[in-house]
Amino acid sequence: MSRLSGAAAVAGIGATEFSKDSGRSELRLACEAVLAAIADAGLKPSDVDGMVTFTADTNAEIHVARTTGMGDLTFFSRIPHGGGAACGTVQQAALAVATGVADVVVCYRAFNERSGVRYGLGQADRPVETAADIGADGAAYAWLNPFGLSTPAQWVAMFARRYMHEYGATSEDFGRVAVVDRKHAANNPAAWFYQRPITLEDHQASRWIAEPLHLLDCCQETDGGQALVVVSAERARDLPHPPAVILGAAQGSGDDQHMMTSYYRPRITGIPEMGLVGLQLYAQSGLGPADMDAAILYDHFTPLVLPQLEELGFCAPGEAKDFVAEGNLELGGRLPFNTHGGQLGEAYLHGMNGIAEAVRLVRGTSVNQPEGVRNVIVTAGTGVPTSGLVLGAGR
Amino acid sequence: MNRRTYEEVAVGEELPALPIPLTRTLIVATAIASRDYQDVHHDPGLAVERGSKDIFMNILTTNGLVDRYVTEWAGPAAVVKAIRIRLGVPNHPGDTMTLTGTVTAKHDEDRRVEIAVRGENGLGAHVTGTVVVRLPSKVAT
Amino acid sequence: MTAYEDFAGREIVPLREGPDPVNVPMIRHWAEAMGDRNPVHLDDDAARAAGRPGIVAPASMTQAWTMRGYAASITGSGAGPGAEELNALLEKDGYTSVVATDSEFEFHRELVVGDRVNVREVVESISPEKSTALGVGRFVTTVRTYTDQDGEVVAVQRWRLLRFRPKAPSPEKRAPKALRPRPAVNRDNAFWFEAAREHRLVVQRCSGCGTLRHPPGPCCPHCGSFEWDVAEASGRGQVYSFVVAHHPRHPAFEYPLIVAVVELDEGTRLITNLVGVEPGEVEIGMPVVLDWLDADPDLSLPVFRPQEND
Repeated sequence: MSRLSGAAAVAGIGATEFSKDSGRSELRLACEAVLAAIADAGLKPSDVDGMVTFTADTNAEIHVARTTGMGDLTFFSRIPHGGGAACGTVQQAALAVATGVADVVVCYRAFNERSGVRYGLGQADRPVETAADIGADGAAYAWLNPFGLSTPAQWVAMFARRYMHEYGATSEDFGRVAVVDRKHAANNPAAWFYQRPITLEDHQASRWIAEPLHLLDCCQETDGGQALVVVSAERARDLPHPPAVILGAAQGSGDDQHMMTSYYRPRITGIPEMGLVGLQLYAQSGLGPADMDAAILYDHFTPLVLPQLEELGFCAPGEAKDFVAEGNLELGGRLPFNTHGGQLGEAYLHGMNGIAEAVRLVRGTSVNQPEGVRNVIVTAGTGVPTSGLVLGAGR
Repeated sequence: MNRRTYEEVAVGEELPALPIPLTRTLIVATAIASRDYQDVHHDPGLAVERGSKDIFMNILTTNGLVDRYVTEWAGPAAVVKAIRIRLGVPNHPGDTMTLTGTVTAKHDEDRRVEIAVRGENGLGAHVTGTVVVRLPSKVAT
Repeated sequence: MTAYEDFAGREIVPLREGPDPVNVPMIRHWAEAMGDRNPVHLDDDAARAAGRPGIVAPASMTQAWTMRGYAASITGSGAGPGAEELNALLEKDGYTSVVATDSEFEFHRELVVGDRVNVREVVESISPEKSTALGVGRFVTTVRTYTDQDGEVVAVQRWRLLRFRPKAPSPEKRAPKALRPRPAVNRDNAFWFEAAREHRLVVQRCSGCGTLRHPPGPCCPHCGSFEWDVAEASGRGQVYSFVVAHHPRHPAFEYPLIVAVVELDEGTRLITNLVGVEPGEVEIGMPVVLDWLDADPDLSLPVFRPQEND
């Protein structure tokens, strides 16, 4: 076990409501979520000395810190690569706490992703700079946009089609993931799709977005904010809630990695960067797939949930469709999954709301609480350099 | 449906305008209903190769729509005696053609009424022409 | 006298019987498509109430009873000897396209269910060559006489077609509403797009170890060399995976849009579009060959089409 494992814990979680039009600034959403998380941890804003967010976030830490009255900060950091950053923010916080550079670190993400800039609309019209100053990230779009491959759904669909071809998976196999997500969201008053479950027939009947993806394979778009407070595991034990101890926290970028379009690897049916994250999580925590009592897996699009199950060792490559069809993701199943409803059902908060749900599972306070949860595995964005966590009740 | 008699129609009377949305399906369905399988009425690629910007409505359909327009106004007792049309700009999918008509002449000897019709779309006049119908007399109805 | 003037007065379609008698199913099909709700065409009682002996066909449908239908449009035969001769003459002169311009129908009586409709067609005139908006062509005016089973005339139609040479579509006219998104070109990838403008599909090749790589980069991940040149791709490959995009729609593209990852025979893969194939016909592993899309004067892109079976 690494020195990181068990050193830090998530002591507070806080969020705004999840909506399609918040009517408020992104900075305000960030401040509301951050203050809620600090309060949930039983702390004051002035206790905070570290902050971590996404490079994609528009709310620089100085604005959030100044506005909420945090005072001095000794640690601030940002993680790139969109939704792949989610668990990485907690890893950064844990590293800072474990090494003593900060005592109370807030991780946050807030946006008006539905009423403002919608990621789902794609990158086709991103401005093209002149050749002299265009960077490698910008130039990468040269291989995509002129051919009309410019949205996340389309990028994922390319992987999904190959996965179906090699493993005999079907659209229904993807649809079963959406059905479980929406079933769990139906019990969650905070979920956008509260009390609105779907059937596999609904999934099949929903319109094409990018074949083989139907509308109901794609997560919603959300306005909202989510924050988490990370402190040392020792300190967490003195705070109001049972600590969600960070037993593993890892990032991964695979060989021949691209942003959402790693189509040039020898095989594209797996997610090697997620496999890399899983190996680290198990090595750090001294736990294995059999020890995981629930999973919060990133579900911006259903097809990439299947190879996550394979990469993380819950089933063999190509067998996730059977693992899902056998009901293992249900509340009474082997691996209760996305008990908050996931990003398809609860909200698209770039994976941060999933971490909060993992904390609730460890606390025993999920609206869909399964029996006897000790350890929960959480993943961040797929198709991009990513990250993961194992949270547990600790020792 | 209307049931217009010869006597109640006056020269100069205007028919209510009829907008017809020109969906791709309408253009193809009417071509097939008129047994016209020319590729320019259903195959966009070949229509472009043959110098058109897209598929376009066939003339049998323009005849049919003009017929429908006038008989809808005139009523089931009207008997169509002539349809004379000239085509202008094509009817392409996505456009709307609005048909208008005006009574231009009456012939008492056989109760024939002449109606000048015009169908305009976004590009201009698709069709101009005349429809002649024989209407029932008031006495007979 | 030109060959065209010779046709005036000639019967180009001898009397031909329409394939089906006047019947309710075909009337219903027509009325549905046209949106014609006049009850005299479908309801016997309503027709009688309107002074008819029974259901009558729409007057405008007269020509449809004599149309030769799908089979004839495939074989192209059976138009009539004179019509075929005229067609051959027009085709020889490059008047390959046709559009109807005028139809003047006089109806002698309404058609009732069971009527047979026959037609014969005589050329009235063929115009000298004229310049039209569609292209250069000739107006062919004919008179079609429609008769019934007893030889009685039921309608006469003066019919005018423009037979023309289509104008080469101008780039402006064919350009879609918007240009395709510009590639973000920099010092590392410009060579590839410049080659594409010359219709050359190239793959970056390491000068140190000879490894091909795509997408390109400034340094070889295998040997670390910054030296490179390009290999010309054979243009053959197969579909590795593909997407059929529906939403959202960008105005530069026609949807559904097929975007594919093609694996070249050289071993590298690239993102491209598939052309000359319907979305439902694409399969992983399908052999494809290179084609070029000149999207606009500044952008040419390699696209792929299914390899012809030979």
